[in-house]
Amino acid sequence: MGAGTALKNKESWKAYCLLIPTLIIFAIFMFWPFLYTIYLSFFDWNMITPTKEFVGLKNYIDVLSDRNTYKILGNTFIYIAFLLVINCIIPYLFAFVLDSILKRFNGFYKSAIFLPAFISLVVGSILFTWILNPVSGPVAIILGWFGIEMPIWSKLDGWVILVLSLITSWKVFGYNFIVLYASINGISREIIEAARLDNVPLWKIFFHIVLPMSSATGIYVFIITIVQGLQYVFTPIKVITQGGPNYASSNAIYHAYHEAFVLYRTGHSAALSIITMLIFLILLILEFKFVERGIYYEN
Amino acid sequence: MKIKRSVAIPWHMIFVITIIILLYPIVFALGSSFKTLEDAYNNVLNIIPLNPTFENYITFFNSLPAFKIMMNTFIIASVATIFKLITSFLAAYAFVFLQFKGKNILYFMLISTIFIPFTVTMIPNYLIISDIGLVNSVWGVILPQLANALGIFLMRQSMKTIPISLIEAAKLDHIGHARIMKDIVLPLVRPAVTSTGIWFFITTWNEYVWPVLILKSKENYTLPLALQMYISSEGGTNFTVAMAVSVITMIIPLTLYLIFQKYIIGTFTSSGIK
Amino acid sequence: MKEIRFENVWKSYGKTHVVKGLNLTIHPGERLVLLGPSGCGKSTTLRMIAGLEEITSGDLYLNGVKANDIPSGKRNVAMVFQNYALYPHMNVVENIIYGLKVQKVQKDEIQKRLDAALEMLQLKGYENRLPKDLSGGQRQRVALARAIVKKSDFFLLDEPLSNLDAQLRVSARKELVKIHEMYKQTIVYVTHDQIEAMTIGDRIALMNHGQLQMVDTPENVYNRPANIFTAKFIGSPPTNIVDMDYQDGKVVIGKQSFLLHPMWIRQINECNAKTFVFGIRPEHLEIYKTPQENTLTGTVKYVENQGSSYSIYINLEGHEVIALSEQKNWHPGEMVYLKPKMDRIHIFDQESTQSIGYPQELDLNESSTLNSKINTVTYLS
Repeated sequence: MGAGTALKNKESWKAYCLLIPTLIIFAIFMFWPFLYTIYLSFFDWNMITPTKEFVGLKNYIDVLSDRNTYKILGNTFIYIAFLLVINCIIPYLFAFVLDSILKRFNGFYKSAIFLPAFISLVVGSILFTWILNPVSGPVAIILGWFGIEMPIWSKLDGWVILVLSLITSWKVFGYNFIVLYASINGISREIIEAARLDNVPLWKIFFHIVLPMSSATGIYVFIITIVQGLQYVFTPIKVITQGGPNYASSNAIYHAYHEAFVLYRTGHSAALSIITMLIFLILLILEFKFVERGIYYEN
Repeated sequence: MKIKRSVAIPWHMIFVITIIILLYPIVFALGSSFKTLEDAYNNVLNIIPLNPTFENYITFFNSLPAFKIMMNTFIIASVATIFKLITSFLAAYAFVFLQFKGKNILYFMLISTIFIPFTVTMIPNYLIISDIGLVNSVWGVILPQLANALGIFLMRQSMKTIPISLIEAAKLDHIGHARIMKDIVLPLVRPAVTSTGIWFFITTWNEYVWPVLILKSKENYTLPLALQMYISSEGGTNFTVAMAVSVITMIIPLTLYLIFQKYIIGTFTSSGIK
Repeated sequence: MKEIRFENVWKSYGKTHVVKGLNLTIHPGERLVLLGPSGCGKSTTLRMIAGLEEITSGDLYLNGVKANDIPSGKRNVAMVFQNYALYPHMNVVENIIYGLKVQKVQKDEIQKRLDAALEMLQLKGYENRLPKDLSGGQRQRVALARAIVKKSDFFLLDEPLSNLDAQLRVSARKELVKIHEMYKQTIVYVTHDQIEAMTIGDRIALMNHGQLQMVDTPENVYNRPANIFTAKFIGSPPTNIVDMDYQDGKVVIGKQSFLLHPMWIRQINECNAKTFVFGIRPEHLEIYKTPQENTLTGTVKYVENQGSSYSIYINLEGHEVIALSEQKNWHPGEMVYLKPKMDRIHIFDQESTQSIGYPQELDLNESSTLNSKINTVTYLS
């Protein structure tokens, strides 16, 4: 027992006291459920019967051998692709433009773009269902002037995913934009001015200077868009299409819910959730690897 | 550096168009909520109602226990927010100003829960709430949300801007941590607490995923759940009422946003994401 | 009994030792300055007294009581931080009395102490200002006031003047001495500025790389440096340090030599050192244009104007030495003759870097007559 350790122990004790509320809540509603879901993935259970039947890896095999699973996983990646393009690439560009080209109305633009983030996605789903109604909605009418007929997106593979992604993006875009803008704005003015003095064109400044220097935030936005974006999409899916038609709009997140609370196959749901979780984990590890491999940190 | 107007103006236009696209739905909802159904179908592109009417709002209040639904939403949002703020503040304080074993590992573990999709925890959480008999109740919704990793993150970022010498000076005066929290730290992180609180309130108010699992009967619904009743993918007959309910659901979050936006944007932009 | 005592105290972070085996007693009521270059461990030492750093091993005694595990708040210590650590949301008065309020000191007692502090530090009229509306000097005085009203036995200051400009520093130093004379606490003061140390300290504790080099009065630290580091750190321009050989009573530097006064010959013979290093301060190295008796010869490299005198940089057998002169007519390339004043030289053991000591004759006579006699006596063998 070294000198002064008594002091340190006292402080540890106080720290744990402060952390107890958070730790208890997390233990009960986050860590225990995580373990229990893993446990459930090895059982066959419909949430009602008092006993569960142990089935080993059967759930995993069922899930991985179901043709629908692959359609759903495919959808998941398509969702991710749409979400990334709309909510990662475009906001990055917009943030750069706002920082380097548009000097006025900064506050207004930021404020207006961020606004939809504060609106419920249920509201968003309802609003867009009507606005994008292929027959009588305002968009359909305007397109009609140009002789374009709107596809019945809620019934079409591919289109349904695009529209649901757009609806989700309506809400997500603003947050990503704000965060990326803050990061780009935080890059020292002098570095960019030095480049301008050297006549470096804007697009080069973006790729060679701004992108690397904001990359830590960029990666965060990338990961968050995938992880949270997929979860946000759940709401429009449930509200508008319930995963249909024929799983065309379902993704891994929605389907796990579907298995558990509609089909009452908790084992399947758990297995699918764990598989999804592993995919996310790989993403997380990739993120840390990237960040540690010396992508340029801001400050 | 001067930017040529010929470059700036098109971009201004692009931004304005983007904003129009983003904000149109809100305006559309507002206008439609005051239209009669006939008006809404016949004059789709016209935002302003021909004969403004409150009938949609009245229908909402007549067909559903609207006040109770609004109260439910308000109670859940307020209570959850208060608890999240308290637990996050205390936890962040411990992480920033106290030394203890496993501090970094614990922080990492808590923050990484942001990456856990809700499907991983939803079944057991439902079972827990069900076992305690809190299904279909306000507390059933609130309970799993009493702590929040994002809250800890934001508070910690804010507290880290306080020079540690302030705390050391207080320690030398034999001031206990409770006093330090109240007299020194809290006043200095008030903007972060306020904006985090507003953010929590709004996100909980808007929440759909968890409440839809827990709340079963209409009088216990929150506004988003009530709203979902008006939707079907072909479009139902209650379109304008749906717009009215949408407006009601949007009002408080938007009002809070408009009042506190400087704080909120400030907190998210200065938290220096990593 | 306001004594502070370190007994073999170590402070380590894993394998890095920031304070090594510190043995130091700070006398009640004295002003002790912890001096040293960046990273020498002086701030860490101060913070260990305050309890803001844990002691890795060894013991710290405050007032004769072992204090290692006593929490900061109970050590009866007042501290002024380098960045003042004022609470930004409280005004001057609130900042000063906050600690007393929490300790539930009597209201009239608080008022009394507050008034005394405001008066002494000329803060009357600033009571309601916030720190951000104060100048650097004013903030520093508020930090001092906050420390004074505690009436603690121990008063710690961590580079309190380093953020002030030169003029303010002088007046701030005077204020500190005034405060000490009034309250008579034990003051421990950290600085990297040796001038500050020499003017403020009753004693100076010089540290380097976590080790205590010397602790003594400013006079002794200046005139009788205990080792080469001390000789080089204290004084500006720094002491000339030159490798030497000793042969038959002579100091041999390169191809030249000069004869030592007998008292030094005896000093060398009595010590255990085998190899030596020679030291002489620039102000004690006399410089002549014409050859003198028992001098060393060198060539001028360049001359620097110090304001009140000139620093002459000289090449002496490949070593660069500095001599001070009040005249400016020294030219680069000129050959000059150097004579170290015998009562002011320093000789160190090369291996241990420690001083071999000073002849007793120098203790008895600080008067100039004997010294000048020693300096002017010519002794040719």
